[in-house]
Amino acid sequence: MTKWLTLSFCVGCFFTAHAQEASKVQKQPEFIKSPIQWLQTSELPAESTVSTDTKKQPGWIGSTLDWFRTSNLPGDLQFHGFASQAYITTSDNDVFGNSDNGGSFGLTEAGLNASMRPLPRLQVSAQVLSRRAGEGNSGMPRLDYGFMDYRIYSHEVNQFGIRVGRLKNPFGFYNDTRDVAHTRPGILLPQSIYFDRVRNISLSGDSVQLYGEAAVSNWGTVSTQFGAFLPIVNDKDTELALIGALRPGHLDRDVSYIGRGIFETNDKRLRLAVSGIWLNTSYDPQLRSGDLIGPGALQFTPVYFSAQYNAERWSLTSEYAIRHFKYNNNFGTPGLNNLDFFGESYYFQGEYRFTPKWEGIVRYDAYFANRSDRDGSDFARLTGAPAHGRYARDIMVGLRWNVTPQFMLRAEYHHVNGTGWLSRLDNPASEGPLEKNWDLYAIQASFRF
Amino acid sequence: MNLFQFLLRIHTSNHYLVRNRACLISALVICLLCLITEVRADSHYEIVTYRGVSQKVISVNSLRSIFSMHLKTWPDGTKIRVFVLPDEDHLHQSVAKEKLNVFPYQLRSAWDRIVYSGTGQAPNKVNSIEEMRAMVANTPGAIGYLWRANIDENVNVLEIK
Repeated sequence: MTKWLTLSFCVGCFFTAHAQEASKVQKQPEFIKSPIQWLQTSELPAESTVSTDTKKQPGWIGSTLDWFRTSNLPGDLQFHGFASQAYITTSDNDVFGNSDNGGSFGLTEAGLNASMRPLPRLQVSAQVLSRRAGEGNSGMPRLDYGFMDYRIYSHEVNQFGIRVGRLKNPFGFYNDTRDVAHTRPGILLPQSIYFDRVRNISLSGDSVQLYGEAAVSNWGTVSTQFGAFLPIVNDKDTELALIGALRPGHLDRDVSYIGRGIFETNDKRLRLAVSGIWLNTSYDPQLRSGDLIGPGALQFTPVYFSAQYNAERWSLTSEYAIRHFKYNNNFGTPGLNNLDFFGESYYFQGEYRFTPKWEGIVRYDAYFANRSDRDGSDFARLTGAPAHGRYARDIMVGLRWNVTPQFMLRAEYHHVNGTGWLSRLDNPASEGPLEKNWDLYAIQASFRF
Repeated sequence: MNLFQFLLRIHTSNHYLVRNRACLISALVICLLCLITEVRADSHYEIVTYRGVSQKVISVNSLRSIFSMHLKTWPDGTKIRVFVLPDEDHLHQSVAKEKLNVFPYQLRSAWDRIVYSGTGQAPNKVNSIEEMRAMVANTPGAIGYLWRANIDENVNVLEIK
């Protein structure tokens, strides 16, 4: 009986504490920050000026950000940004700098964006991005996106609009915000789908896009985006990936297409997506410098299938990509002429939120350069190059700590079999052969507002 | 002797039992009351708008679309301005889970997706109930949420159909 009594008292105290907490939220006069005092000082209770706030005082960055958020800037002007720094060390092979020799601070990402709504249906947004990552990205700031978005039709859940300018390429679940560490599952995205080696081509393009959102009976919503764009192909990484070597000429920007449809249940638990890219580019040779390859054209048409299930504590995500490469016969070299093959990639990923502050992640990620030569043996026989360059299987575990809503720390470990997605710029032939089995450890600090 | 002591002990414990039963019952009543208050506290909030907003009734799907920052204008064509409390706030979590039927972390990731791709804007964050009330009362097109105890004639209550 005494046990019962004690138990019921404990339970009672628990509920009382809970109820108090709720009423605290309800009634406790909180410290009102200065920017809104001018709004309605007379209406606020007198005691509201007495500081009962026990939260830590924000520094000057915090106050500036608060000013941005709480002040009514003209045209609903908003500023947001992020900055991340990673430290990566590998057992062998280089990832973003000289990582296999004591580690490197080679991955730095920072961005700043502004958006405003001069009219209720019109939004203008732009983001400048700086990314320092190995040989491929120097950190030179570039326009990541900059466009106008006009909402042509809007009725309840149904929306239809047009976007014109430089836009993020919509494919998969993560490409649109791939450089913002807070939105990524892990320090490295699943490389089989979101190559960092050839990121520029898939990142953003100058385009016109139509978008729509519609309710599907009472189940959920379908949102679609479709656009024509000029891809950004004028970088060394893309040239290496598509034509196999750095040549004196350059790749031309031909009109390409992209589209994505996402179905989302009303409770956002289940998300399913299909995306596709029809990318066209052609090689413009510099014949005077004795260019060895001719003016060939190529088509790259990947299709992505994505699925995600979100519960309160855990999320499961999987994406599959089949990538079709097709080269015409104007390259004048047997290595490229009439190349026609399919690459294949997929990953399975589980995330678990122990508390809102602590999250764990595991992932298995597989990449095959050519699905009819998964172990690369045919390729090795034909070219003499190592077979492990044609695939990569990556097992990853990681931990994320959301120190504050703005500041995040995380760590992860990868064991990789294969070198398929390693950057060839970071691992030139002059540094010796690549190691087939290798490990990667990474930590990252990230701030966003 | 032993038996006597035993009987005595039983007697005293019975005595305590009777006295404690009253305590037990009152403890249970307190528990129950607290439970009721707690349950009531959860339904004790409303979605509120700026007084000038003409819409008085809204569907759950439209409401979710507004708080996901997809639906940007009221039916009369004016701008919607969304105000939210911090993610960890008790009222914010109740509104997300009970009214919108989504987890707060899903709202956060939906906002991040549109903010960092430029396809939408973030909701305006307020740090307290008082600030929420002041902002919704004074910002044309504003929508937010308040405990019923904090609602006054300076804001409209939006009915969910």
